[in-house]
Amino acid sequence: MPARIITLCLVASVLAAGAAIAAETVYGDGVSAPDTVLVSRVLDHPEAWAGKTVRVAGTAVAVCAERGCWVDIASDREGQTLRLKVKDGEIVFPLEVAGLPIVAEGVFKVNPPETSGKVCPREAARLAKTCDAEKAAACMTSYEIAGTGAVVTPAGE
Amino acid sequence: MGRFRRVCRWLHRELGFLAVGLTLVYAVSGVVVNHVHHWNPNYAVGERSFRIEAPGAGETEDVAPLVLERLALDEPVRSTWRASPEMLQVFVEGATLDVDLLSGEVVRRGHVRRPFLYSLNFMHLNTGKAPWTGIADGFAAVLAVLAITGIFLVQGRRGLAGRGGVLLLIGVLIPLAYVLWERCF
Repeated sequence: MPARIITLCLVASVLAAGAAIAAETVYGDGVSAPDTVLVSRVLDHPEAWAGKTVRVAGTAVAVCAERGCWVDIASDREGQTLRLKVKDGEIVFPLEVAGLPIVAEGVFKVNPPETSGKVCPREAARLAKTCDAEKAAACMTSYEIAGTGAVVTPAGE
Repeated sequence: MGRFRRVCRWLHRELGFLAVGLTLVYAVSGVVVNHVHHWNPNYAVGERSFRIEAPGAGETEDVAPLVLERLALDEPVRSTWRASPEMLQVFVEGATLDVDLLSGEVVRRGHVRRPFLYSLNFMHLNTGKAPWTGIADGFAAVLAVLAITGIFLVQGRRGLAGRGGVLLLIGVLIPLAYVLWERCF
């Protein structure tokens, strides 16, 4: 009899664990800000949002393949994305999140123009494109969220 | 001194056996993540190109179903994204397809986890945080004990007063020299 009870408990635990895995995945501190802001709204008036904690939602359309330290979130406006950048190693996004819905939170940052000349060749090499020196500033992400957490919903949810 | 050396020997032997597994985890993963600029240590990444009939750069709600129909994918589609007027991205599990709407050229970028290395790197980089943080801290302490006790295992010419001392000095100087070089140049 005790063996049956233990078996039942084990089965229940496995099912519960399975349900937990199938549910959304929380990265870092998750999200706690009360309202979700449209990415387009933030990017329309970046200076107004600089330094503020924002929570945005969208589809993860690109993920850092090497270290999982950033995710590009699709805006509600076609062709527009906002990068969620997290500290290397603190949060690691697996490549599997690409194409999945993501809600992210962090401090919105407006980065100064890239003038070092180092970022463009590196990004160009990563994307297998040619670096255009005149457009070097565009190689640096101008706007990003210094991410503290995110929640990713698995496919089919 | 004899009793101290006996304790060192005992600690070194017992902890040495205990540390074998974790040392190999950190050693193998250490090498592969050292070369992250040469290859992807977590995923096998592949790319292949093919063509579909060009759907044209119309409105996304018109173009996306056309692209999906022409791709005729076996796997379920997670989502699509109009990355630019000419580009539609299609996301499936384990791959992203970049579809050039004007030329019909499709680049499929797939990724598969390296099953063994992914797990080793997951532990080494402490991606999962707790409870691995505690295990890794414990292992670091074990390594420190192994290093200290190792100094006192052998006496005489091969020990601290002889060749062992020289090797110890070299081992200490390597990181020190690197730090100095890195700061000066």
